[in-house]
Amino acid sequence: MPGAVRTVGVSGLWKVFGRKPAEALAMAREGVARQQIQDETGCLVGVRDVTFEVNQGETFVVMGLSGSGKSTLVRCMSRLVEPTEGRVEICGADLTAADAAELRELRRHKIAMVFQHFALFPHRRVVDNVAYGLEVQGVERNERQERARELLSTVGLDGWSDHYPQQLSGGMQQRVGLARALAVDPEVLFFDEPFSALDPLIRRDMQDEFLSLQERLQRTLIFITHDFDEALKLADRIAIMRDGAFVQVGTAAEILTEPANDYVRAFTQDAPIAKVLLACALMRPLAEGAPEGSWERISTLAPLEKALPLLLASPNPLVVCDAEGEPVGLLHGEDVAEVVAGNSR
Amino acid sequence: MTAIDVPGGPTARLGGRLRLRDSGTGRLFGALVVVFVGGYLASWLLPGFGVFPESWDVGFAEPIDRARRWLINNQTTHGLYTVFLNPISDAIDAAIRWIESALAWLPWYVYPVFTGVGLWWARSRMAGLLGFLGVWVIGVLELWEEGLSTLALMGVSVIISLAIGIPLGIAAWRSDRFAKLLRPTLDAMQTMPGFVYLIPFVLLFGIGRVPSVISVFIFAVPPVVRLTEVGLRNVAPSMVEASEMFGATDRQTLRLVRLPQARPAILAGVNQTIMLAMSMVVIAAFIGAGGLGQVVLRSLSSLHVGRATEAGVAIVIMAIILDRFSQGIATADPGRDARWIRPLFGGTVAAAIVGGLLNHSAFPEALNWQFAGYIDDAVGWMQIHLYDIADSGIGTGPFSDFVTLNLVSPLRELFSSAIPWPVMIGIGVVLGLAARGIRLGLGIGAALTLIGLLGTWENAMDTLAQVVVAVVVTLIIGIPLGILAAQRDRFQTALNPFLDFLQTIPSFVLLVPVIMLFHVGRIPGIIASILYALPAAVHYTDLGLRRVPHEIGEAADSFGSTRLQRLRKVDLPLAAPELMVAINQTIMLVLSMVVIAGLVGGGGLGFEAVKGLRRSDSVGSGFEAGIAIVLLAGILDRLTRAVADRLRPPPAIA
Ligand SMILES: Nc1ncnc2c1ncn2[C@@H]1O[C@H](COP(=O)(O)OP(=O)(O)OP(=O)(O)O)[C@@H](O)[C@H]1O
Ligand SMILES: [Mg+2]
Repeated sequence: MPGAVRTVGVSGLWKVFGRKPAEALAMAREGVARQQIQDETGCLVGVRDVTFEVNQGETFVVMGLSGSGKSTLVRCMSRLVEPTEGRVEICGADLTAADAAELRELRRHKIAMVFQHFALFPHRRVVDNVAYGLEVQGVERNERQERARELLSTVGLDGWSDHYPQQLSGGMQQRVGLARALAVDPEVLFFDEPFSALDPLIRRDMQDEFLSLQERLQRTLIFITHDFDEALKLADRIAIMRDGAFVQVGTAAEILTEPANDYVRAFTQDAPIAKVLLACALMRPLAEGAPEGSWERISTLAPLEKALPLLLASPNPLVVCDAEGEPVGLLHGEDVAEVVAGNSR
Repeated sequence: MTAIDVPGGPTARLGGRLRLRDSGTGRLFGALVVVFVGGYLASWLLPGFGVFPESWDVGFAEPIDRARRWLINNQTTHGLYTVFLNPISDAIDAAIRWIESALAWLPWYVYPVFTGVGLWWARSRMAGLLGFLGVWVIGVLELWEEGLSTLALMGVSVIISLAIGIPLGIAAWRSDRFAKLLRPTLDAMQTMPGFVYLIPFVLLFGIGRVPSVISVFIFAVPPVVRLTEVGLRNVAPSMVEASEMFGATDRQTLRLVRLPQARPAILAGVNQTIMLAMSMVVIAAFIGAGGLGQVVLRSLSSLHVGRATEAGVAIVIMAIILDRFSQGIATADPGRDARWIRPLFGGTVAAAIVGGLLNHSAFPEALNWQFAGYIDDAVGWMQIHLYDIADSGIGTGPFSDFVTLNLVSPLRELFSSAIPWPVMIGIGVVLGLAARGIRLGLGIGAALTLIGLLGTWENAMDTLAQVVVAVVVTLIIGIPLGILAAQRDRFQTALNPFLDFLQTIPSFVLLVPVIMLFHVGRIPGIIASILYALPAAVHYTDLGLRRVPHEIGEAADSFGSTRLQRLRKVDLPLAAPELMVAINQTIMLVLSMVVIAGLVGGGGLGFEAVKGLRRSDSVGSGFEAGIAIVLLAGILDRLTRAVADRLRPPPAIA
């Protein structure tokens, strides 16, 4: 894990929609089911006692089916929706206790959001869309435009700044959305299913670009998706959400190898495990020094599908090496077999 | 998928219609019988059999006349004037003068060029060229100064309307409570024929341009208020959230996101406001607004149809230019022409300053040419040859007489005396009851009674008779045209420019060509109202039919219905609410025109109101007529709207 500075802390977060939140909250605390609460109070529990922390530079993915409360969770975390109870801390500031002016300050400098349907301003040119956050902060015109153009070239949209968003393709529009969020140089970025509205091919491109951007920028990212493959590809850690509550939180490997219940297993079953699990996830740490001999070497970031042919070709485990080429662990054939077989059952 | 699959849909819609017929008809009939019997009995017992008793006249005119005398006497001394009304009046007057002198200072040639460039920018080269030529026409017809005066009045009225209307719209969007207060007020303002707004302001300010501007403002402001509010309410919440996510303050979000997003709606409101202002500025000639409207009014009163036509042409040109320009702003995209337009615009500004300094303001007399003479000759010819062709009893004159004698007059007799007034009131109550409920019924009853108490019963029934005739004819022509337009796109495309044109003509100007053909009397007023209301009747019929879901029509076809069967059994019933809106709009437009036609012998309430405006000893009775017009408009509007609501399908069960 990258540096261990905590940037996002959520504790005991609840959101109840409806007229009698207190009553519904009390029932939910006693463990009454969501449906029954809704029948009796007319209130809907959108987020149910969610607690987690995210560190600086980490990508935290929230995955769940439609209606499971993912959007409500990020909207509570940015206070587009008022949480019913609980605490959200961003960079040490208590967002839930902030008054209107403090909240504005936090939104101006610390957090930003990329929306599922882009939510670009159709009456502003691309460059003015990207500059919006800076304009709101009162940054002077030339300066904000310059910064906006810089960011547009970062996301590969040089030469499009004077167009209007609706003149761009979906993928390009979401790049604008990304540039707009990055323009204010936020610590924490929320992504609410940013790629679900895109074609599969473009989605893959955007995911790759997302990864390379994150490698450079190292921000704290809260990423919402309903696509398990996307979660596996992008996440440092994944939270699986159901009916407003977190069912399981862990790395891709942990979730794939030890699904907490049948609900999670339903996702992991079809996951292309050999593609998404990396060598570092299954390796056994080196106990004593580098092993002798001419065992095959493999990078920590290599997916299992790369390791499989090598393992089949030799009776020995593979030596897993980090970016500097230093051996850090051993990947044993039986471990890989167990995971891959368990998965395809 | 067939219509049967849609539970809350078509079947429920038809159900809504059936309810009115089935359970309603028996009781409605019973109630009407009771009303007739009771009403006749009552009129036996009351004085004057059937005619509203004169002794019941509350004599509202007198206090009004007294108030008017008091107001005139105290204009310079009383606090109401010195502290409140005079400062307003002086400010408006100063604004008009200032704009007028600025307009008069500009060299005349700047106007056609500026109009041309503006329309080129907002629309197209062709529009620019036509606008350029159009402005020349106004000058050539020797109407330059009157045109500028009308323009100045328009400028002040529109600026005031926007400066007050847009903030009001924003306030209505911000506060639901304020919106709840404002909406019925705007509704009421829009149901009243513009003409009646003149009366109270004449009372307060006397004759002149200040009361004109104020009544124009009141008449023209509703659309921009309404559409500003609607535009702001319709801004997508996702846009607002995106803005708030960046930490924008409410003000920033309003300025940077909400207002720009609402711009098309606001501009549509601005366009409507400008067009209403234009039609009202012309009508305000009745109270001394001057300008082009006054030329029409003066010429019509002295039956100089030729000159009236010239001024009418000038007004229509101005109206079309203002309409097309203000419509075009929202979508203006000069594209590559921008490189011509920009320098041209700059050049015009420079020419304006230089020419102004050189005192080039007057339109050159050498260019004058008038066609009034030809028109007068033509009218003379028509009056000989068309009015009664070869004394054969065929022609527009005998036609007018025939319609008056056989349709309008009998209907007036029917309403005002053959059916006793208690029965008329009873019918009104029963209709209100059937359409909405007890409150509407009692409201209509009270309003009708008040019309009687004001001593305006006969005139009101006269006006009502004219309205009924004009509405029936408009619908007989308009609904089939609307049906055709809905069924054939090509027909619609061909018809639209014509209807557009009709709609751009300020109501008062429509009277001119009709007078040419039919001379004065009730018939020209009725025909002008038909022309005035026809576009709305066609448009709403077309719209209603086009809104019928495609699948439902196909379902009908799949049962093998003929075109006519489908129209009768499916399309028209489903479009019934919109048809009712068509009827409502037709009635309101007809009424506002019939009232203005009081000027050209239309009689009824309109005549009383006109007289009140033009003769200082009749202000009181004019005021009474004005109130009666408002009441009549209110009754007809509420009633037709209630029926329209009835015809709407019940809300789907969630
Ligand atoms: N403003 C609201 N009022 C009432 N209920 C709401 C509101 N917003 C969301 N909900 C409900 O809360 C639940 C969770 O909604 P949410 O939008 O967070 O789901 P989601 O996981 O983001 O789903 P999706 O993948 O479809 O975006 C849903 O049942 C939704 O109907
Ligand atoms: Mg969502």
